[in-house]
Amino acid sequence: MGSLNSAMWIAAHALDVNQGALDVTTNNIANANTPGYSREVVDLSEGTPVEIGYLTFGTGVNLQQVQSVRNQVLTLQIAEQTTQQSGAQTQLNSLQQVQALFADPTQGIGTNLTAFFNSLSQLSTDPTNGAQRSAVITAAQNLATSFNQTAQSLTSNQATLNQSVSNTVNQINGLTKQIAQINAQVGQMQQLGKDPGALLDQENQLINQLSQLTNVSETQTQQGLTLTTGNGTALVVGNQSYALQVGSGTNGMQDVFSQGQDITSTIQGGALGGTIQVRDQDIPGLMTQLNTLASQFADGINAAQAKGFDLNGNPGQPLFSYNAAGAASSFAMATTDPNAIAASSDGTPGSDGNIANLMAVETQPLPSGQTPTDSYATLVAQSGTFASQAQAEVTATTTSLNQLNDQLGSISGVSINEETANLLNYQNAFGAAARVVSTINQLTATVLNMMSANSVG
Amino acid sequence: MRINPNFSPDILADLYTAQSQEQTALQQLASGKLINMPSDNPTGAAEMVQNQARQDQTDQFLQNTSSLEGLVQTADSTLSSVVTALNRAVSLGTQGANGTNSKTDMQSIAEQVQGIQNQMVQLANTSYKGSFIFAGTLTTAPPFTLNPSSPDGVTYNGNTGTNSVQIAEGNIVQTNLPGSQVFQGAGGDVFGALQQLVTALQSGDTTAVGTATTQLGSSLNYLSQQRVFYGNVVNQLQSNQSYLQQEQVNLKSEANTVDGANLAQAATNLTQAQTTQSAALAALAKVIPQNLLQYLQ
Repeated sequence: MGSLNSAMWIAAHALDVNQGALDVTTNNIANANTPGYSREVVDLSEGTPVEIGYLTFGTGVNLQQVQSVRNQVLTLQIAEQTTQQSGAQTQLNSLQQVQALFADPTQGIGTNLTAFFNSLSQLSTDPTNGAQRSAVITAAQNLATSFNQTAQSLTSNQATLNQSVSNTVNQINGLTKQIAQINAQVGQMQQLGKDPGALLDQENQLINQLSQLTNVSETQTQQGLTLTTGNGTALVVGNQSYALQVGSGTNGMQDVFSQGQDITSTIQGGALGGTIQVRDQDIPGLMTQLNTLASQFADGINAAQAKGFDLNGNPGQPLFSYNAAGAASSFAMATTDPNAIAASSDGTPGSDGNIANLMAVETQPLPSGQTPTDSYATLVAQSGTFASQAQAEVTATTTSLNQLNDQLGSISGVSINEETANLLNYQNAFGAAARVVSTINQLTATVLNMMSANSVG
Repeated sequence: MRINPNFSPDILADLYTAQSQEQTALQQLASGKLINMPSDNPTGAAEMVQNQARQDQTDQFLQNTSSLEGLVQTADSTLSSVVTALNRAVSLGTQGANGTNSKTDMQSIAEQVQGIQNQMVQLANTSYKGSFIFAGTLTTAPPFTLNPSSPDGVTYNGNTGTNSVQIAEGNIVQTNLPGSQVFQGAGGDVFGALQQLVTALQSGDTTAVGTATTQLGSSLNYLSQQRVFYGNVVNQLQSNQSYLQQEQVNLKSEANTVDGANLAQAATNLTQAQTTQSAALAALAKVIPQNLLQYLQ
């Protein structure tokens, strides 16, 4: 049979346990809005029963452990989706600036191309007219300027992205360093058999931030958490972090190195992947098209010039010049002499016979297979397609990220209603246990009084 | 079932969506355009570039047409004066051939015809905006100079070049006839006939005057045929002008089909987005204070 003492002990322990449960509830409520916080639950269990004679008595309640509620699979999916979403968003941000260069159909390379051909067309009505010859030169200069400006804007967008590569790499290195430190503490706690809950929350939050920057894979090993880059080189192994480096790549841009290996092309997703995608793929793609257009257009006009004669009756000389390494940025006038326009087909000043050859460049396909205006239109469409693809990916990944976060929230999120209910339960249990303590106290007093009454009597 | 207690990200996402729809609708209403960035419709943006190019081209064709009208009309009216002058020369020739004129009379008629000859050289040297219009493509110098020792009485310094100008897609018109073809053509040499008439009048040979006058008459006919060329070009330019104006309208409406915002639609979208937004806000305001704690107080 149990004793008053054991009952007292059970009640006192129940006070402790409910106090602990109240602490956990309070902590949950306090962290209801903390990003990355996973709610904690108390694991209560019945005390080991004691056998006295043929009877078995319970020994009260034990607070087995306090455990964070998490779902590793969802956390990994969220990290993955975050990488994609942030990569697409980064691409979209820079591509929106890029496509703005091609946004207005009433100005830029397209209209300047047409204006150049129109000035030639006008010249065909009066080939000796000095003012109209000057107008052709002006239109050609405007065209050259718009080629130059578009190329420069693309290059400067690319340079900005290049700069953000090293900034992002610095952020990544800061995060991996912190993760390695936390990892070390987590390892120590796990060795001691403790729940590293709060630390894991912090770690997950840091990994989430890291996922926004680049794609990482997570594996749990005996040393604890291991994080690797897309192509498998280590970022964090246990308590050790490995910093990424930046260095000049073959294209003159900052490449990313991991332990001496150039991993630039394997980085996908995240702000870093998005930046590298636009810097190394999208902008160079547009630039190549622009350069092809500039060089083939200049070649076409120069070849047509050579078929005719200038105002002084000399064979036509090239009108445009460019450097093959960057046709659009180096696109320039080979001459600004209005008399140099080879309008004449027979060397007489009044002939406009060769203007038809110059104008043919407008309507005949360039070696690229398209007319100048059509290839510029393709360029415009391309810039828009890049941006709209990024936009679609942002929308899709944001939706799925919201869903995943909802799922995780339904598992790990703090519900005030639930905590309030728990609060009341624990409060009541605490109050009841306290009442038991005072009742047993009275019982003990009764027993003591009974004894003293006996001795007096 | 446990649900995500933190619903604000979902409501915020809905609010962002409504806001971006609102922005799109507003932008469409403000600009009147569906395509404000190439990403709004990449194919459409490319079509707009091509459409703009064709609109600019059509404007230029219109400008070419009106530039040419001046040139061609100058040529036409010059040739009209030439015809008037030559008609007078023919009637002077007829007068000289009738055999009743004294030697002095014949001389005076000869001088009058010489005057017409001078006037003809001046007319044949007509220029438009600094270019001599009957000089072939050697337009920088007067094509005809008087030369009494030549059988035609003049020397032609121009060439036989012609120019052409594009006035519409696939429509190229020749804009000039060389002076040698108009005034000294194989079918009728008006300068040669005039010179013969002058020589015949000066010599007082009425038969020769008669022959020269007949020749001048047939040369005049040939010149009138040449003049028809300019008349045709004027007609062509005028009909081209109305064609191009129609083309401009077509291109603009084509652009509007691709790029023009449906304003009624945009306004409806705006209202819809606003409704969604205020509904989401109202829901948020109602839901946030609702939890068990509130009821327990």
